[in-house]
Amino acid sequence: MSYQQMAVPPRSAHLWRYTPWPRIHPTKVEELPEADGISFTVEGHEEAPFTRDDISADIARVFLQELKGSSQRLTINGTGETIHVHARASGHVAVGHLDLTVKGDATVLVHLTGESGWCGLHITGTVHPNANLGFGFINELDANTKLLRCDDWIVERDASFESATLSVGGFNCKSDLRTTLNGTGSSIRQAVTAHGQGARHDDHHIEIHHLHGHTDSDLVTNAACSGSSHFIATGLLTIAEGADGSDAGQVFRNLLLSEKARAEAIPELEVLANDVSAAHGAASAPIDPSQLHYLMSRGLSLEESESMIVNGFLIDAFSNLKNDALTEQVRTRLTVHLECELKR
Amino acid sequence: MGVAMSEEMLRVENLHVSVEGTSIIKGLNLTIHRGEIHVIMGRNGAGKSTLANVVMGHPAYEITQGTIHFQGQPLEELAVFERARAGMFLSFQYPAVIPGVQVGTFLKKSVASVRDDPPKGRAFRKELNGAMAELEMDKSFLSRYVNDGFSGGEKKRLEILQMLLLKPNLALLDETDSGLDIDALRIVSKGINKIAPEAGCLIITHYQRLLDHVKPHFVHAMIDGAIVKTGGPELALELEERGYDWLDVAA
Repeated sequence: MSYQQMAVPPRSAHLWRYTPWPRIHPTKVEELPEADGISFTVEGHEEAPFTRDDISADIARVFLQELKGSSQRLTINGTGETIHVHARASGHVAVGHLDLTVKGDATVLVHLTGESGWCGLHITGTVHPNANLGFGFINELDANTKLLRCDDWIVERDASFESATLSVGGFNCKSDLRTTLNGTGSSIRQAVTAHGQGARHDDHHIEIHHLHGHTDSDLVTNAACSGSSHFIATGLLTIAEGADGSDAGQVFRNLLLSEKARAEAIPELEVLANDVSAAHGAASAPIDPSQLHYLMSRGLSLEESESMIVNGFLIDAFSNLKNDALTEQVRTRLTVHLECELKR
Repeated sequence: MGVAMSEEMLRVENLHVSVEGTSIIKGLNLTIHRGEIHVIMGRNGAGKSTLANVVMGHPAYEITQGTIHFQGQPLEELAVFERARAGMFLSFQYPAVIPGVQVGTFLKKSVASVRDDPPKGRAFRKELNGAMAELEMDKSFLSRYVNDGFSGGEKKRLEILQMLLLKPNLALLDETDSGLDIDALRIVSKGINKIAPEAGCLIITHYQRLLDHVKPHFVHAMIDGAIVKTGGPELALELEERGYDWLDVAA
């Protein structure tokens, strides 16, 4: 079914509750606008563009597919190297597709920048048996850019996948991140950190599907919201029938830094197996006054104390990751971002 | 004791303090000079921690009457961080956890904020290493997040480490000895004894055992928001032996 034959999904659907499809569409919802390609530059790896042949039934993915844009494939047989992918979005509408095939150990960092009016990025990847991937996604788009990001990951038997997202760019962002644990012994550790300023709207829908037994997942999202920003994290964790021995956890935490800032944290579980461990938690609150008092009693001003607490809170989302190269990169970018914000 | 009357650090006069409309401190007077170690003992709820917190400027407490002076200057107008920068330090009974903030980063920032001529670079690291060695702390502390997952003893050691690095003129220690084993108590006491000659110290405690390591000049018994008896170290022994009932009449 083509995009223009598809019905606009209703807001009652979990995925589209807070950012309905017409809100993230670049023009009028029935249109398929002309799109430029996102410019991909890969450091530390060379590979030719490819032609996509998969078609998903999901409206956002079909839309990105039909807009075409650019594509970049990485096939990694690595032994621990770090690869930087610089993705730059220019023009009115910019679209790109990044595909990763990982058969060894590697860290890949995607730096998304640019000032296009609308940016659509589809990331697909397979972490093959026994491989280990650390994947960082740093959204530093211009403050006027609208972003649609869709991720589809498959993690095979005994493979491990660590995913870190730092979301500080764009003004209206919708991310739909899906991972399937497709083999016994596979695991994902996923961290999302977002900083909301001004009227920024940032919606993350994160799905993790355990199809086999003895699979592990750990998801943490930490968002700090100031101004009249709005952060949304909806989760869908499924454990299939027979996927016994699986262990899954989701924690969504939001720090509200102003009266008008809003945050939603909605984890959902669908557990069909009997012998599993599954936990979820969510919390939204302002800065703890006892933390402020403690830091101020050590000579830090109110602004310095708040900044340190926010910085720490956002960095803490990455504490569940083990890949040092990955966490170092995202921490550094986060610190740079917060220092720039403090100087404004 | 041989303590010469010297520079006045803290003067509390007729202090009355309320929390959410409930009167906690009711007419407390206390003066501490540089080089003096004062100990306050009392039952739970007597107002000991309230005194430490209100001197440090905790916003939850309201001074309804009386004054507090630090080195001759009234404290009412000073925010918490200004009190710290002026040379006041509170070792918290329950230090806050700050996730994501590494101890090393926090100490560096704090020292830079408080000390007039803070050590930088190699000089800071040398001083930090020296203080940590003195408190028998492993360097791995520095990369951990502030008080996050710390045991009770580790939290108290970190408080004392901060005190050594910030070099306060007035140190308020709120039950720093609670929950410490014998070795940790000895180490924490070492830290207190190191800064005591150059500062005024107010130690709040329930137990006499700290005083086996730290020799106070004055021990005060606090009952229902006021100091009702002051003596030397022998008063701590007497309080531990007899409890506080015999002082209720005086209160």
